[in-house]
Amino acid sequence: MKPRHDICNLVRRHRLMADMTQQELADRVGVTRQTILSIEKGKYTPSVALALCLAEVFGVSVEKLFQLNKGETDG
Amino acid sequence: MAEKKVRKRWQPTRTNLVAGSMVVAGFMLVSLSWWFLLLAALGTFAPGVLREMGWLRDKDEFQLQAARRAGYHAFLTSGLVAFVLVAFFRSGERVVEDPEELATLFLAVLWCTWFFSMLLDFWGPQKAVHRVLIAFGSCWLLFTIASNVGSEWTGWAALLLHPLLTLPFFAMASLSLRWPRITGILLLTISIFFMQFFGFFRNNNLGLVTQGVTFLLFIGPLLASGVALLSVSRHPESEEE
Repeated sequence: MKPRHDICNLVRRHRLMADMTQQELADRVGVTRQTILSIEKGKYTPSVALALCLAEVFGVSVEKLFQLNKGETDG
Repeated sequence: MAEKKVRKRWQPTRTNLVAGSMVVAGFMLVSLSWWFLLLAALGTFAPGVLREMGWLRDKDEFQLQAARRAGYHAFLTSGLVAFVLVAFFRSGERVVEDPEELATLFLAVLWCTWFFSMLLDFWGPQKAVHRVLIAFGSCWLLFTIASNVGSEWTGWAALLLHPLLTLPFFAMASLSLRWPRITGILLLTISIFFMQFFGFFRNNNLGLVTQGVTFLLFIGPLLASGVALLSVSRHPESEEE
């Protein structure tokens, strides 16, 4: 049986640091605002492609944006 | 910056408009011939088929995941219903008065499960239930108004008072955003009341199909909404923007 990994992300933190709205970020990466909202709430784990797009927008590595859950949560 | 608060409202895509028009037209034209129902089927299933073939790319990955999960839930529900029906009909000599209604009911179970599941996945329990209750209340409001005008005109008092019966749905829609768990309990209580009211707990004279339709139209949305709201965490997060 595969171990279950929880993934936390710092998308909301980076978005606020970049002074962007969810809609602006959604437009930048080509998804709906609801998708960004779900990612920030940790309800949806994006594909590698979308994670790379998000990392590119914020100018950070994917590892900085998404991490295996070690207790830290964001949003 | 004021402009940062501006948020795009949901707008139907071209695919939604075309598919929705086909579904509505299909159902309106069944009065001419039931073969027009295939037009509604085309509107319902063709976009999904085209998406799976990669010819239509109108949804992002989160929307596709919600649609696929909803499809799986619809498969589980309608599959279970199909097995029950097969067992029921093959376990003895059964006579159903309205087989066409039964087939319609089966389709409605499939579609309603898919639709509600997709709303839950995409919007989350609170927003989905809020909109379902608004839609449910609006349908009832239109029904009460329509049943009080025309040939069944019973006076202005009835026309004004009967729609008030739909107020609790709008009130609960509003409550669901603020106190989801309390609203969930209220909805479950109302569902049980409706089940008692329609005689689900006693040996009534309603046939299998009529009971199914009654459950799906009157109780199903409330029961599903109540269960969904009870799954909301104690401190639901706001949407922020």
